[in-house]
Formats: sequence, structure tokens, C-alpha cells
Amino acid sequence: MPSRSIDLPQGTLDLLILRTLSLEPLHGWAVSERIQQISSDVLRVQQGSLYPALHRLERRGWIKARWGTSENNRKAKFYELTKAGRRQLEIEQDAWRKLTAAVSQILETA
Amino acid sequence: MLHDLLFRLRSLLRHPAAENELDDELRFHVEQQTDKYVKSGMSEAEARRRVRLEFGGLDQVKNECREARGVSLVETLVQDLHYSARTLLNSPAFTACAVLTLALGIGANTAIFSVVNRVLLNPLPYPHAEELLAARQNEALPNLKDMQRQTNSFASSGGINISPMDFTGNGEPVRVHGAYVDGGLFATLGVQPMLGRWISAAEDVKGGPPNVVLSYPFWRDFMGADPHVLGKAIRLSDNSFTVIGVMPRNFTLPRELADVFVSLWTGYPEAAPERGVHFMHTYWRLKPGATLAQAQAEIAQADRQLSEAFPDTERERGTVLMPLHEFLVGNVRPALLVLFGAVGLVLLIACANFAMLLMARAVTRQRELMIRASLGARNSRLIRQRLTESTLLALVGGAAGLVAAKAGTMLLLALKPEELRRLDAIPMDARVFAFVFAISLLTGLLFGLMPAWSASRGDMAEALRENARTTATGVGRSPLRSFLVTAELALALILLAGAGLLIKGFLHLRSVDPGFNPANVITMYLQLPGTRYPKIPMQTNFRQELLGRINAFPGVEAAMITDLPLAGNYVAHRVVIDGQAPPAAGAEPMVQVLSVMGKYFGVMQIPLRAGRDFGAMDREGQPRVAIVNETLARQLLPGQNPIGSRINWARADDPNDWMTIVGVAADVKHSGLNQPVDPALYTPFSQNNEAWRKWMTLVIRTRVPEAGLVEDVKKQVWKLDSQIPVSEIQTMDDLLAVSVAEQRFNMLLLGSFAALAVALAGVGIYGMVAYRVNQRTHEIGVYMALGAQHRDVLQFVMRDGVKLGMLGIVLGLAGALALTRMMVSLLFEVKPTDPATLIGVALLLAAVALLACYIPARRALSIHPMTALRRE
Repeated sequence: MPSRSIDLPQGTLDLLILRTLSLEPLHGWAVSERIQQISSDVLRVQQGSLYPALHRLERRGWIKARWGTSENNRKAKFYELTKAGRRQLEIEQDAWRKLTAAVSQILETA
Repeated sequence: MLHDLLFRLRSLLRHPAAENELDDELRFHVEQQTDKYVKSGMSEAEARRRVRLEFGGLDQVKNECREARGVSLVETLVQDLHYSARTLLNSPAFTACAVLTLALGIGANTAIFSVVNRVLLNPLPYPHAEELLAARQNEALPNLKDMQRQTNSFASSGGINISPMDFTGNGEPVRVHGAYVDGGLFATLGVQPMLGRWISAAEDVKGGPPNVVLSYPFWRDFMGADPHVLGKAIRLSDNSFTVIGVMPRNFTLPRELADVFVSLWTGYPEAAPERGVHFMHTYWRLKPGATLAQAQAEIAQADRQLSEAFPDTERERGTVLMPLHEFLVGNVRPALLVLFGAVGLVLLIACANFAMLLMARAVTRQRELMIRASLGARNSRLIRQRLTESTLLALVGGAAGLVAAKAGTMLLLALKPEELRRLDAIPMDARVFAFVFAISLLTGLLFGLMPAWSASRGDMAEALRENARTTATGVGRSPLRSFLVTAELALALILLAGAGLLIKGFLHLRSVDPGFNPANVITMYLQLPGTRYPKIPMQTNFRQELLGRINAFPGVEAAMITDLPLAGNYVAHRVVIDGQAPPAAGAEPMVQVLSVMGKYFGVMQIPLRAGRDFGAMDREGQPRVAIVNETLARQLLPGQNPIGSRINWARADDPNDWMTIVGVAADVKHSGLNQPVDPALYTPFSQNNEAWRKWMTLVIRTRVPEAGLVEDVKKQVWKLDSQIPVSEIQTMDDLLAVSVAEQRFNMLLLGSFAALAVALAGVGIYGMVAYRVNQRTHEIGVYMALGAQHRDVLQFVMRDGVKLGMLGIVLGLAGALALTRMMVSLLFEVKPTDPATLIGVALLLAAVALLACYIPARRALSIHPMTALRRE
């Protein structure tokens, strides 16, 4: 299983977190699970860098946290996107698309 | 931005809650993940292990979260402080050493800074003090008035003379400091009385009303702080004065002490119109915009006019004005700056020791630091942690230093140096606290950074090797440590050289023969009130009667003189000599004139070099006689037998009433041990023809020191006249001690700084060698096992210390040669490059350094080869 997965490129973790949370509020563990699932287990989030990233985004005001109850009835910290977070997501998605388009263009033509 | 700030603040305020939340959050994650693995078929234990591996260091993640939340700056500071305090308390010996070292260095600095602050930096207590000037020369009242008229640069000016006055009518008669002033003085200083008013210009004239203004202490102590004192009459020197004002509590004169203020015209009308009597200190206030140069030019012009108009008395004028602050502190400044510089060097040495302590501690804590580093603590964090620790230490050291400084300033005052005599306290104001805080912080940061930086640079692998005792050459030999030890010794040598020079100068000074024997001589000052003793025969009667009564005491020999040697006073007269062509009027030689009664030379044990002492035959109506000192005989009567020569006052009332010189007395250091002897002329009180010479100082030699003598003498004085105060009761030994107090003060202070410096430097070099022995126990053991002799082992461990010590001493000698020149004004008959002193202190310091190397090195000899090897 680990052999199939790749580490996240630098700077994409924030984008993925924002994207994941844009669908519904989630707690940290669910965020990492969701990223792994959606990417068909290709992308694995380093647990060590997930939480600092969440706290950093919270400090920037793009996500906010509240305590809730998890699906198995336990106390968990849920994160949700703020308005500013949504705007940021747009910006970052846009930038990412431009980047990947440019990179694939180079890969295909050069 | 605002959100960011609020968020940080909230995190900080909710700090414990936030920490709990972080724990909960991460624990939740770990449990979820473990559940997941268990569900997929792993054993519980295997699942947990796997989660831990995936997660990495939990603490590290927490730390990164904290940093991501942005509270780290303040929070880590708090954490670091907490951690530092805990580790410091865990090693009390280290902490005590570091704090003590810094407390000594900072305390000594703060004490001297308090003095510098009080004496040099504090502004004078007068409004617009920068406009105030003082004249170097004393002045006569009529000259002052003429100068005021002839100049335009001054808003006002005034003069003051302090003379003793007798305050009577309030129990025991008391001698108080009377200030004879002119009306301009207080406008010049710009201070208003607290009660009433100042003496007006209209009152400050011949025949003006006898008014008096009181000082606050006089009003409090003698008038019972009476708020209705204005208009009351008090008796001063047998005259009645009306109180018209009281000065405020914090008022002080620039350099005089005064209890009561009267105008010169009412207090001393005889002297007021005299031009030749230059006895007033004068103070001048510049008009706004006027410059010192302008003022000086005008004063020079006024001087010229005065000397042309009054050549007899004013021929040699040369008034020099200078800013009042400069005038007051100019003499003290060199000494204080030298002391301040010296104490700064002490601090540097203390700091070097502090840095070495920190370095030694870093080595012993290497394992701890390595563990923290391998747990993921970043290098910058480790440095910050250690800086926090050193700064915390320095601040504690500074606080302790403040306490030490308080004690130090009290000690300084107890030494009572001349320049601090007028200070009743050395206050610690905001500036002093700021100074302490600044130097403590700087010390902690700078000298903490040095070792922290040098340690963090060191590679961990190397540290591991060292810990494993696989001793490579060069281990434990840090360039920083070598530099610190060398610098310490160099600085200590500079201080030692300064102290050595001062000590040598002081010894020279003490070995100067004052010209009299000060042992067992008690002195007291009396003054006859002019109202009751206006005529000379009445004064003579009192003097003879009093001396007769005191001499009747058993075992006592008494005499009197106008002004004692070393007491700072004398009367000077110009004289002419029979048979010599008279110089131009006003250019006659000036001599000290001292009147004596009784066997003054016998009591003071001043040898007579030729001729005879005064005797009973030298009374009023008999031919006038005089005794001169050797300097007068040498300077004014060269190649002439002084005995039988005749001398008289220049422009005397009766130019033919010559005094015949009947004796030559040995020279006496009248103006100070470090001052040249001036020509002096002694005349008998019994032939006194100047009724204003109303004062006298009793000199009483006792065979053994006698406790009750002073009271017995006072009783005899008051039997003769109950209204005469007896004051300035002191022994000649005291006077001698006071006369060298300033030199003694400088010497003691610089000497103790040097001692402190040597001790600190000794500890520094000791520490270095001890550390080396400790680090190389194994190696030494191998040496010894291989048959090394004691000498070889000593050489091995001491080599570095001795080499650095000698280098430091050589550098220090160079520094001393460069720096001791600044002390030249403090030295008496010693060159600042005195080779004997420099060589002496270099040898002394070398001996200390050797000893400091030898003591820890000797421990190396007791290392047993087997034990050392087993430690491997």
C-alpha cells in the first residue's frame, strides 16, 4: 500500500484541506481520510503536517473550528470553511489549474 | 491582520484551555486511526505502534501547531523562563556563582554610576543653571560692584563669604555658618525664599537694616519650624537681626554651607568697603543670548580699569569666569571618570567569568542538549533557551547588584572623601535603575550569546565523541575560552597598575613630613565677639587668662594660633624687608601671617632652626618681633642672616615700626601635604595690632589621650565668657587624615576594584585549568600509566593556562602604558609609567595566575592511572 502512495507536493496541502472542507465541516482525522479516499489512496497526508496546517489556516481566518460530536459519538474538533476561506479556495484552485496546465503543456510539447 | 492579532491574543489568554484542546484533538486522531487499523485486522498493540510511527514525535507536532497558531513568541518566552528558572534552581551552586559574579560586577558599577550620576550628571538645583558662571578668583565687594556697573553681559551677579557667627540666647552658645552676601546673590541663583523675602538691593547698603534670612535646617532646629518667625529678632555675634525670610528645604548654595544670610554691610561693615580684602565667592548669571566669551572679554576690560584705578591692591587681577557646573565638578571629574572606567573593566572581567561559567555548564549539560536536539528541538530554539537562561541570570545578578550597590554607596559615604562631603545621601533615581537594567540585559544577551553561539556551532557528533572520552587533541581547548582568559588577565593587570600607582603616590604623600607632630594634639576653634572685645588689650587678656587656666591642667601643654596647618585657612599679607629696595606698590611678596600665643612651636613640636621662641618679654609696647619659616628666609632673605633682619607690612600705617626676626622655624605643610610650602611669618598675639584678628585655635598636647579634656576646656572658656561657642573640636591626626582623604578614597576604591579584578581573573584561569584536568582525566591516566613524571603532568595541564596568563599580562602591560596616562592628575610624585610599579604588579599578577593554575593542576597528580582508565 505505501508503495503506491506519493507525498504531497509542497504547498498543496492547504489547497487540499480547503477543498475538502468546502463540501462539509470535518474533523482532522476525517480530512486526512477523505483526501486519501478521493485520491484513491494515491495521496497520503503526513499526520505530522496536517495539524500544524489546520492551525495555520485557522489563524489566517480561512477556516474556523468548533467542538462537536463525531459519528461514533465522541468529542471532536470540526473545521469549516469561512467566507474568506472560500475566496481563498477560488484563488488557489485557479492558481493550481494554471500551474498544472502550464506544466502539462511543457511536458507534452517539449 | 486584526484577526491575526486577536487570534494570537486569544490563544495566549486561553493558553491552558488551548493546550487541552490541542491534546484532545490529537488524541482523538490517534484513537480514530488506531480503531481503523484494528478494524482492518491488526492487533491493538501493532496498531498503536504503527500510528505512533506515522505520527512522528507527538510533542514536535504539538510544538508546530503552537507555532502555527502564532503564540510561540511570547509563549515560548514564558516557557523558556519557566524552564530556565527550574534548571537554575536545580543547580544552585552554578546559579549562586553566576549571580554572585555578576552582582559584584554590576553592584560596583552601579555604586560608582550613582555617584557619577549625582555629582557629574545631575543638573544644578537652580533655574536655567546653564546661564550661571563662577569666577575662579575671590572678590572684594567694591570691586564686584564696579564690575557689575562696567559689564553688560550679565543679568545679575552676587557674592558670598562664609564666616562663623555666634548664635546665642538659646541655651549653649552655638557657632553657626554665617553667610555675608550682597543683594544680587539670590537673584543670580534664582531661588525664592519659602517664607518671607530676600534682602533687597535698597537694604544692602552701608547702615542698612540688620535683617537675616534663615536656612531651612536653622529654622527647623533652632526656631522650632515656627511659621510665624518673620519679624522676630535673633542674636548673632552679639547683634540683633530681624528675620525676614526662610529658604526652602531643598535649597543649597553652589559650594558653601550657610545657616543664616545677612548682608555684608550689616554682618561685617568693616570689611565691606575694603578693596584689598578679596574674600567673596562670586556667581554670575548671563543674560539670555550672551556668551561666555563676551562676558570674559568684558570682565577682562573691567579688570584692567580696576588695576589702573587701584594699583595698590588691584595690580594683579585676572578674573577667569567658567560655567558653574564645570567649576564645581571640574576637580572631581578626572577621579570619577577614572574610577568609572576602572569599575567598567571589573564588569568586563566579571562578564568573562560569567561567559566561562555558562560554557562550562553547557558542556556538563551536553547530554541534555543532545537529547533535546534529537527530539527535534531546533538549533535556534536551543540558543534562545540558553539566552533566556543567561539573561535571567544576569537580571537576577543585576537585582542583587542593586542591593550591593546600595551598600556600596553607603560605604562610599562612610569613607567621607572630600568631594562627597557635602552629599548626605547618594540617591538611586530612575537613571540609576535604567543603567542597572541596561547593563544587566546587555551582559546577559552579549555574554550569553557568545558561549551559546560557540556551542551550537559545535557539531553534535563531536560532542558525542567528547562525552565518550575518545579524547582527540584540541578537545576542551576552545578559542573563546582562551580569549576570555587572556582578556581577563590583561584587564586585571591594567587595574592593578592603576591601583599600584595610586598606592605608591599615596605612600609618598603619607611619608611627607607635615613639619609638626600630630600625635596627641587636640584643637578647638574660638572667636571673640567684636562687640564685647572691640579693643586689643581685652582680647589679649582673654587669651592669656584662658591659656593660663588650661596650662594649669596636669599633663597638658596648650598654645594657640590663628589658623591651623592643613585646616585650609590663613591670612596673607604683602610685606617689605628693611634694606631691600621696595618693589612697586601691589607687587610686594605675599606671605602667610599666623599669630600665636604660648609655646606654639613647642606644643606642635615644630623645630626652631635658629634664634629663639617668643617669650614673656614680647608684649605690647615692646619692640615688635617675628619668627619666619625656612621658606621665607630662603626666598625673601637670600644670603642674609634672617635673625636680626627686619620686616614690615607693605604700606603699613607706621612704616618705621619694623618687626625684628628673632627666630627661624622649620617649614610646615600648611596648605596640604601635596602643596608647596609658602613663606610664612609668625607674630605673637600679644603684639597684635589688628583688632579684627578675633579668632584663635587652641592646640593642646596631652601626654595621654584624655576623654574629659574637651569638656574641661569648654568649662574654662565659659567661666571666662558664657557666650562664646567652642567648635571644630578635632585632633591634629584627624586633620591630617582629612587632608589626604581624597587620595585615600581614590586609592582605596581603585585598590578594591583591582583586588576584585585579580580575584575574578584568578577564578577565571583556575576554572579553565580545572576544566582541562577534568576533561582529560583519562588521558592523564594513560600518561601516568606510561610512566610520565609529576613534572610532565603538571606541565601538560598547566601549559595552556600559563601561556594565556603570560600573554594576558604582556597585553595588560601595553594597555596599562596606554591608559594610566589618564590618571596623571591623581598621582603624587609618581610617573604614570613608573617602571617599578608596573613590573611589581606584573609579577604579582603572574604569581596569582601561576597559583590559580597550580591548585587545580595538582589535582591531576592525584589521578590514579587505573581509576582513570576504568572510567573509559
